[in-house]
Amino acid sequence: MFRFVIKRLLVAIPTLWAVLTTVFVLIRVVPGDPTIIILGDQASEAAREALREKLGLAKPILSQYFDFLWQVLHGDLGRSLATNRPIVDDVLSVLPFTIELTLASLLVGAVIGIPLGVLAAERRDGFADWFARIFSLAGVSFPAFVSGILLLMVFSVELRWFPVISTANTADPIERLRALVLPAINLGLLMVAYVTRVTRSGMLKALGEDYVRTARSKGLGRRLVVWRHAFPNVLVPIVTVVGLYLGVLIGNAVLTEIVFNRPGIGKLIVTALNQRDYTLLQGLMVITAFAIVLANILTDLTYGLVDPRVKTS
Amino acid sequence: MKRYLFAAAALLLAPIATARAETVLNVGMAAADIGQIDPHRATSTQDKPVVSWMFNGLVRFKPGSASLEALEPDLAESWEKSADGKTWIFHLRKGVKFHGDWGEMTAEDVVYSLKRAGDSKTSSFAADYSVMESIEAVDPYTVKIVLKKPIPALLGLVANYHGGNIVSKKAAEALGADFRTKPVGTGPFQVVDYKSNESLTFAANPAYFRGVPKIDKIVYRFIPADASRDLAFSSGELDIVYGRQDQRWVERFSKEPNTVVEVVKPAELSILHLNTTMKPLDDKRVRQAVAYAVDRAQIAGFKGASTAVPAISVVPSGYLGTDEQAKLYPHDIAKAKALLAEAGYPNGVTIKVIQTSLPTMLNSMQIVQSQLKKAGIDLQLEVVDHQTFHARIRKDESGAVYYAAARFPVADVYLRQFFHSAATVGTPTAVTNFSHCAVADKEIDAAAIEPDAAKQKDLWKVAQAKVIDDVCAVPLYEQLQVWARKTNVDYGYEFQGAIHLGPVVTELTNKK
Repeated sequence: MFRFVIKRLLVAIPTLWAVLTTVFVLIRVVPGDPTIIILGDQASEAAREALREKLGLAKPILSQYFDFLWQVLHGDLGRSLATNRPIVDDVLSVLPFTIELTLASLLVGAVIGIPLGVLAAERRDGFADWFARIFSLAGVSFPAFVSGILLLMVFSVELRWFPVISTANTADPIERLRALVLPAINLGLLMVAYVTRVTRSGMLKALGEDYVRTARSKGLGRRLVVWRHAFPNVLVPIVTVVGLYLGVLIGNAVLTEIVFNRPGIGKLIVTALNQRDYTLLQGLMVITAFAIVLANILTDLTYGLVDPRVKTS
Repeated sequence: MKRYLFAAAALLLAPIATARAETVLNVGMAAADIGQIDPHRATSTQDKPVVSWMFNGLVRFKPGSASLEALEPDLAESWEKSADGKTWIFHLRKGVKFHGDWGEMTAEDVVYSLKRAGDSKTSSFAADYSVMESIEAVDPYTVKIVLKKPIPALLGLVANYHGGNIVSKKAAEALGADFRTKPVGTGPFQVVDYKSNESLTFAANPAYFRGVPKIDKIVYRFIPADASRDLAFSSGELDIVYGRQDQRWVERFSKEPNTVVEVVKPAELSILHLNTTMKPLDDKRVRQAVAYAVDRAQIAGFKGASTAVPAISVVPSGYLGTDEQAKLYPHDIAKAKALLAEAGYPNGVTIKVIQTSLPTMLNSMQIVQSQLKKAGIDLQLEVVDHQTFHARIRKDESGAVYYAAARFPVADVYLRQFFHSAATVGTPTAVTNFSHCAVADKEIDAAAIEPDAAKQKDLWKVAQAKVIDDVCAVPLYEQLQVWARKTNVDYGYEFQGAIHLGPVVTELTNKK
């Protein structure tokens, strides 16, 4: 397994390099000028030119590119163009919140999505099935900022169970958990939708298999047939979907983070983009890409756990 | 046993019972994060209010005012100037302490701060201070400033605004780069905590020279989503909130219980700059046609009577030197059409415009677009994101530029940045002269060094008249700022203007 991880990490290097290069090129192709953010819109062109010089933006693009790669190789992501804070500090200060939110919403997705999917498959075309299908369709198509505002209006303004501006960044664990509930549900809805769909279709297929019929004819109880015999076969597609949509989740976290005003990578990306903060954007992309690669490796490892046929050695 | 339990409980509860409840002011801002809080670097809307809580200048804008005519002593108790207006002596207040253990504020700090404000390596406002020939400490409580030439508003340069904010020399030198995130001043509040993308927390400065602030703590929260910010204010989690510059918002929140909505100056003036070097706008008659086709009253009405007023000149109202009676072109579609025909465009003209996608600016421009269409002028908008817009208009790529801006409240600044030929886009000294306007250089330059205040105002008046007559730009409307607070918040002054783009929290500000 150790060798497997190393091998996958090595394979990830070209992926990361490609991401870095794409990011580097893309954000420079988009017009915009970080000096307007730093100097404001009253500075003269000469002052802007001087700043570009200082920030290294006046150098030829290729030499900027190699400087950037060299820096990343040394584990140095540089400083934010806009605030001059070290990027590693900025990112590390919000990363735990994004991880926390992502994991919590995965949990929400699994806890609601799996039983819902199983139920829907069992009662095909029944009420539960219709409900699950409509619910998952809504989950995929409902924009996170709309569902977020609805959740806030109901649970924060009307019922007052949770604060509108959650203080995620606190040492008090109860407060922190309270701040996590609504955002996790909001982001989790998307995961519920995907998990329900995959579980449902996987279960439909499994329930039609011969071994299930055999199990049933043996006189086994419903629960045993469904959970012991059919369900394990659905785990692999579920893990695949979860792993695949981890990236989507990070993207959707942006909207959830903004509506619920949580610190996080997504919110930082938007800020950096709005400010044309090249270095911060680059740093964020490097870290996000790395996180997704890592998530994929974890997914692959999980296959080995849920499916004895898959060997990771 | 029971007795012990009681004793233990009493011990645990004792500190809670004796500690006075903290007065915390929660302020909600429309931003994802702070920009910069180093006073000499703070340029964004979300940065400016907090700088005003932490710093003092030699003089200050009266809290709640945005007028240069209402400056009052701050760190300086008194000042005098020489007859030629070039030498200024400031007498400092004694015993003013910097935040923390950074000691007493003296002339040395003032000299250091103003020099720092004038250095482009440490300041975004360096150009404003290049006029200072020398700044020296005569003694620990006296500062002498000698100017290269007299300027319209020296007191503005040493006010608690932009580069005029006084920082601790010792702290700035000792903290180095960290000073940018933990700046040290003399104001009623000091920054104590920063949570990236979430909030900035300020604590009262117990040694503030005007007295201990009544508010113990300010939590400045960054809430970029409008809906979430509004909900947080409605639910009572915020005491003060940045309002939307929108009629419906003002109406809705005016009706909310325990809420006061305040619409304040300085106004942001929206102007349509016409590129006088590009066809067909190089013909003055076409530019005049644009001016006649614009209906300012309609634009202001559309933007909302509570928050917008028609523009009165090419400089915002209320600035030192604004011509409040400037003669603008009236709305007259027939005249616009006639002028176009006279210029050889009986079938109308097409103007290509690069326009920001920022909703407030885009929908104003769409109103202008529909007004001009009636006169046969077709504005073709290429809508791009805000940063792209900023970059491209500075490359002189747009036939007309819709720009909204507030500046330091003296006519000189607005005229110089938008209508002086030195500021023309595409040149090394470029600022924001998008029209290539050059008709009023002489008056703008003469006014800047005119020692006589009345004559100076006359020169500015002539400059505005020339810019308007030549139609370098068509003024559209002025947008006021909107803030809301809960009724239990008392600023301690009447909130009519906000040079710092937000309410100043002073030692007198209270929450009951």
